[in-house]
Amino acid sequence: MRILRIVSAFLRAAILKETAYRAELVGNLVRSVINIGVAVGGLAVVFSHTSDLSGWRLEQAMVLLGVYYLVQGIVQTALSPSLNEVVSEVRKGTFDYVLLKPVPSLLLSSTRRFVVWHVADVMLGGAIIAIGLIRLEAQITVGIAAVFVGVMVGGVSIVFSIWLALTTLVFWFVRVENITMIFQLFFDTGRYPVEIYPFWLRQLLTFVFPVAFITTVPAQTITGREPLVAIWLAPLIGALALLAAARFWRIGLSRYTSASS
Amino acid sequence: MILRRTTLAGALALTRAEIADMFQYRVVLFLYSLWEVVHPIVYLAVWGAIAGEGEVGGLRLSDFAAYYLTFMLVSHVTAAIEIYTFGPMIQQGELSPHLLRPMNPVWVAAARNISYKSVSMLLLIPVWIGLVIILRPTFSITAGSALLFVVALVVAALLAFLVGTTFALLAFWTTRSFSFWEIWIGLTFLLGGQVAPVELLPGFVQNLATALPMRYTLGFPIEVLLNRLDAGELALGFVLQFAWLIAAALIVRTVWRAGIRQYSAVGA
Repeated sequence: MRILRIVSAFLRAAILKETAYRAELVGNLVRSVINIGVAVGGLAVVFSHTSDLSGWRLEQAMVLLGVYYLVQGIVQTALSPSLNEVVSEVRKGTFDYVLLKPVPSLLLSSTRRFVVWHVADVMLGGAIIAIGLIRLEAQITVGIAAVFVGVMVGGVSIVFSIWLALTTLVFWFVRVENITMIFQLFFDTGRYPVEIYPFWLRQLLTFVFPVAFITTVPAQTITGREPLVAIWLAPLIGALALLAAARFWRIGLSRYTSASS
Repeated sequence: MILRRTTLAGALALTRAEIADMFQYRVVLFLYSLWEVVHPIVYLAVWGAIAGEGEVGGLRLSDFAAYYLTFMLVSHVTAAIEIYTFGPMIQQGELSPHLLRPMNPVWVAAARNISYKSVSMLLLIPVWIGLVIILRPTFSITAGSALLFVVALVVAALLAFLVGTTFALLAFWTTRSFSFWEIWIGLTFLLGGQVAPVELLPGFVQNLATALPMRYTLGFPIEVLLNRLDAGELALGFVLQFAWLIAAALIVRTVWRAGIRQYSAVGA
C-alpha cells in the first residue's frame, strides 16, 4: 500500500512537471504517427509479395507491430527515464541521496521519473493492435484478453529486467551511458515475428535474449495463432527475470562507493 | 566556397584531430556499427523467409544476402550524422568560435563525418567478414560494375552529407530539426532500398523512389555493384544522382547563408 502511494506520488509530480511542456505531446504524437506509418508502409511492401510471412498474415503482423510500439512506449514513459538517471547519479556520486531515503533503493530508482508524453507510442500501438484485430474479425473473449494482459505483463517484466541488469553494470564500469543500446539492438528484431529468423537466431531470440516473449508471443496469444511456446512460460520467465535482476541489483549496490572516496 | 589550398590543408588537419578524438569512443562506435548490421539482417530474414528455396521478383536468398551485406557497408559509408554533430553546435552556440576561423564551419562537420566513418569502419569490417562467411551470398560483380560502384558510392556519400547538413542547419530556426530529420529517415527506409530493394517496390512507388533523392544516398550504389540495372536504368540513375547532388549543394549554400545571417549565439 505504501509502495503504491509512493509511486502514485511520483506519477502526480511527473504529470505536474510535464504539463509545462504540453507541445511535447503534439510533437511526440506527430513523430509516432510518422514512425508507425512508415513501419506499416514497410509491412505493406513486404506483403505485396506474399500473403503469408512464415505463417503470419498482414493483419497479424500489424498486431505484432502494435505490441512492439506499445512496449516501446512503456519503456520510454516509465522505464528508461528513471533508470538512465541512475547511471548519471552513480557517475556523479549523487546516488548517495537515493540510498539515504527510507524507501527501497530499487523502487526509488525505477519509479522516480515518468516522461508522460511518450504515452503517444502506447496509444498508437494500441490503435494498431485494434485495427489489426478488427480486420481479422477476431473474437476476443474476456478469457483471451486476460491471457493477453498476463503475457504482456510477462513481456514487460522481461524488458524491465534486462534494462535493470544493463543499468546495474554501472556499479562496475561507471561509464555506461550507452549500454542500453544493446537492448534496443535486440529489441528491433522484434518488429517481425521470430519465426522469420534462421534456426540459431530464433533460439537466441527465444531463450537467451527473449525478444520472442516480448512481441511474438503476445501477438500470437491475441490473434489466435498456434503458440510458439506454452503461453504460461511468458509470465513465468518474466517473474524469474525480475527476481534475477533484483538479485543482481543488490550485488551491484554493494559495490557502490560514491564518488571520490 | 572556393576550394583554396589553405582550406584543404585546414580540412586535413581537422580530420586528423577528429580521428584522434573519435578513438576515445570506440566502444560506443562499435555499438553504433552493430546497429547498422542488425537492421539489414532483419530485412534479409524477412525476404529470406518469403523466398525460401524459390525466388521473389527474380531474387533468390543468396541475392538478398548479397544485397543486404552490401547494404551494411554502403549505409555505413553514406551515413549522415550531422544532425547529431553539427545541429547541437548551432543550438548551443558552439558555432561562434568556428566562425572566427578562416574556413567555413561546414568543414568541421565534414571532418567529423569522415573521422567517425573511418574509425567505426575498422570495427565493422571484422563483423562483416564473419557475416559473409555465415550467410554465403552470391556477389555478381564485374570489373565495370565495381568501377561504377565507386563513383556511385562517393556521390551517394556526398549527397547524404549535404542532405544531413541541410537538416542540421534547420537548427538555426527551430529546436525541432530532429523531427524533420526523422521524416527523411522514414522516407529513406521505405523508398531508399532499406525495407526492400527498390526493384521490389510496387509499381508507382517504384517510380516515386526512382525520382526522389533517397535511393541515390543508399540503394542505387548497391544496385550498380550487383548488376541489377540495365544500361538505360544505369544512365538515368547517374543523371538523377548528379542532378540531386548539385541541387543539394545549392540548397545547403542557400540555407547556410540565410541561417548565418540571423544566427545569434546563446547568451549573446
